[in-house]
Amino acid sequence: MAAPASTTAPDPLDRYSRQVRFPALGEDGQRALMNSRVTLCGCGALGTVLANHLARAGVGHLRIIDRDFIETHNLQRQILFDERDVADNLPKAEAAARKLRLINSTIEVEPVVTDLDHTNALDLMGDADLILDGTDNFETRYLINDAAVKLNKPWIFGGVIGSEGQTMTILPGETPCLRCVIETAPPPGMTPTCETAGVLGPAVAVIASFEAVEAIKLLAGKKEALNRDLIMVDLWDWTFRQLKVSGLFGRVDCPCCKHRKFDWLEGEAGSHTTALCGRNAVQVASRRPEPLKFPEMADRLKALGDVRHNAFMLRFATEGYEFTVFPDGRAIIKGTNDIAKAKTLYAQFVGA
Amino acid sequence: MIYLDNAATSFPKPEAVYRELDRFARTSLANPGRAGHRMAMAAEKTLDDVRHALNQFFRGDAPERWAFTLNCTDALNMAIKGVLNDGDHVVLTDLEHNSISRPIRALEKAGRITATRVVSRDGYVAAEDVAAAITPKTRLVAMTHASNVLGTVQPIEAIARAVRASGALLLIDAAQSAGVVPIDLKATPIDFLALPGHKGLYGPTGTGALYAGPRADDVIRAWREGGTGGDSSSELQPSLRPYFLEAGSPNVLGVAGLGRGIAWVAERGPDALRKHEVELLQQVVDWADRSEGWRVAGLWDPERHAGALSLFTPEGISPQELAGILDVSFDIAVRPGLHCAPYIHRNLGSFPDGLLRLSPSPFTTADDVAQCLEALTAITAGVM
Ligand SMILES: Cc1ncc(COP(=O)(O)O)c(C=O)c1O
Ligand SMILES: [Zn+2]
Repeated sequence: MAAPASTTAPDPLDRYSRQVRFPALGEDGQRALMNSRVTLCGCGALGTVLANHLARAGVGHLRIIDRDFIETHNLQRQILFDERDVADNLPKAEAAARKLRLINSTIEVEPVVTDLDHTNALDLMGDADLILDGTDNFETRYLINDAAVKLNKPWIFGGVIGSEGQTMTILPGETPCLRCVIETAPPPGMTPTCETAGVLGPAVAVIASFEAVEAIKLLAGKKEALNRDLIMVDLWDWTFRQLKVSGLFGRVDCPCCKHRKFDWLEGEAGSHTTALCGRNAVQVASRRPEPLKFPEMADRLKALGDVRHNAFMLRFATEGYEFTVFPDGRAIIKGTNDIAKAKTLYAQFVGA
Repeated sequence: MIYLDNAATSFPKPEAVYRELDRFARTSLANPGRAGHRMAMAAEKTLDDVRHALNQFFRGDAPERWAFTLNCTDALNMAIKGVLNDGDHVVLTDLEHNSISRPIRALEKAGRITATRVVSRDGYVAAEDVAAAITPKTRLVAMTHASNVLGTVQPIEAIARAVRASGALLLIDAAQSAGVVPIDLKATPIDFLALPGHKGLYGPTGTGALYAGPRADDVIRAWREGGTGGDSSSELQPSLRPYFLEAGSPNVLGVAGLGRGIAWVAERGPDALRKHEVELLQQVVDWADRSEGWRVAGLWDPERHAGALSLFTPEGISPQELAGILDVSFDIAVRPGLHCAPYIHRNLGSFPDGLLRLSPSPFTTADDVAQCLEALTAITAGVM
């Protein structure tokens, strides 16, 4: 099984020769990459592209956090997975780690099958040189933002819906943070999600590739080359916008980076779940200042399943799950006892 | 907010309880101990005073027969695990809360004991059925005084006489009855009375008590062992009551609050408090009778009822959804589901969705209940 041992140990840099020859990176940059640690939050569409790039580029330690299992409809865009992984019912983090080790056996890949939340965020990010956003919801992004600002570690935000994507690099103490730019998350049910609006694989790959290049610059110690704008692209309409947000730094009355109030990290904001007594059901509660608008929500969901609503609740049935959503964003999800699954379903269909 | 979840824990508490919690926390919150500094002795005295209050209120044999516990579950476990031996038989009923059924079921599944679950009818257990379930091997009869799902009050006087005649021990779970239905330990031969401090006695959460009568003296083992604040030289748990059952720093603060709660109940009397709650529930029963799709679970007999009632809900809307809407759109707190008592829901046919439970308190008004019923009418009128 094992490959025949070669007589002379190859130079560990050899496999990266094409990248080392790129003058702006060079040998010093490559060595820095090989000594760096990254925490990747989420291993779906963005996450698999990010992990693929970074593992191939030689990032020394890659911690991949994801609570979900692979499903067939993930294969359209989540490039590290295949049909066999679906059949084997593997968690995404684990399947990604197996594949990445085949791609590059010289790096360490650490899969963490868990729900990233305020109880474990600091532990999972504390030893990282960089935190990457491969998540699908704003709730987790604000949590990452809180942790990164508190730990004074850089992180890269990325998000994609349909054919549109955004990305921004956040250097605490140097650039505005996510809350400086987008102060509060849109309420659940009010924003499209990949489940409701769909998503194109190449659009995800573009944004993830932007994130990956920024990550390489940062880890290689080439901070001067970083992009400090909010980048917004639409690959269908072919628009590219670069929002100069760097001027906001220090000028926004930001609860997070200015007042150091870490609402998500302290568990003050965000959702919490409880398995309901009796039924095969989980309740997901999400603290919201604004009531949900059921007619708009119903409009978005109607193509995906049966939706009905009145003044008190919205009912939605899809894929064997039944949602009852209340105006304050709380939802009862029937059809599972698994809290992580319920959170995923909530993020997918109600949104966060 | 309209709070109709008093069967879970009472809210609000009487003003005197809040004041005492604040006062005690600021001035007297030391770890009790019989020998020590003045503050420790004052804390010890508080425990003592409340033991006396409990003993007087329930007419027990002696104050030292009352051990403070964390809650009712803790007291029940203390009794169940303290007296059962391998090969014993236990009688319980299908009304039990999981705090009785789970410890017993676990021992049963481990092959250590056998158990018989007496079936209730319309929410009531018959004394004859309990008597018939007792065998020569029966060590313990463990049952609830009032069902936490239905509010039905069980004929424990007749049951206690039958159990006493058989020689078995009787453990009564007074979670829903303590402070609401009079219990007289002098008149009723109960060996163990387990109760929460935080429901009908209006103490804070984290309080409870177990009364262990004389017949248990030689058989009960301490379920928890450790420091007792006195006699530290003994290698084993000292047998002196009540410390025997009370290892570990007790919740003196909670007990201080509980003392005021008991005084508040004693002043008004359980009969008056129960009457108020039953009148409010009568409003619910009358409304359910004239409302399409609604039905009261169990038999409604106001003379034999505590302050909780559960409803079957109309087709097309689950108890969970109703409770969610009451909370979100009307700011009314009720409890849906199985109420930790799955067997009675199987008996009633309400498993696994459960029922919608309303439980008022002396602080609930007729208007509060009317608002809740109006809300339920409005919600079900629009069922999709
Ligand atoms: C009948 C019954 N027994 C036991 C308990 C458990 O009480 P506690 O929460 O104090 O442990 C309850 C509480 O709901 C109850 O209703
Ligand atoms: Zn900021």
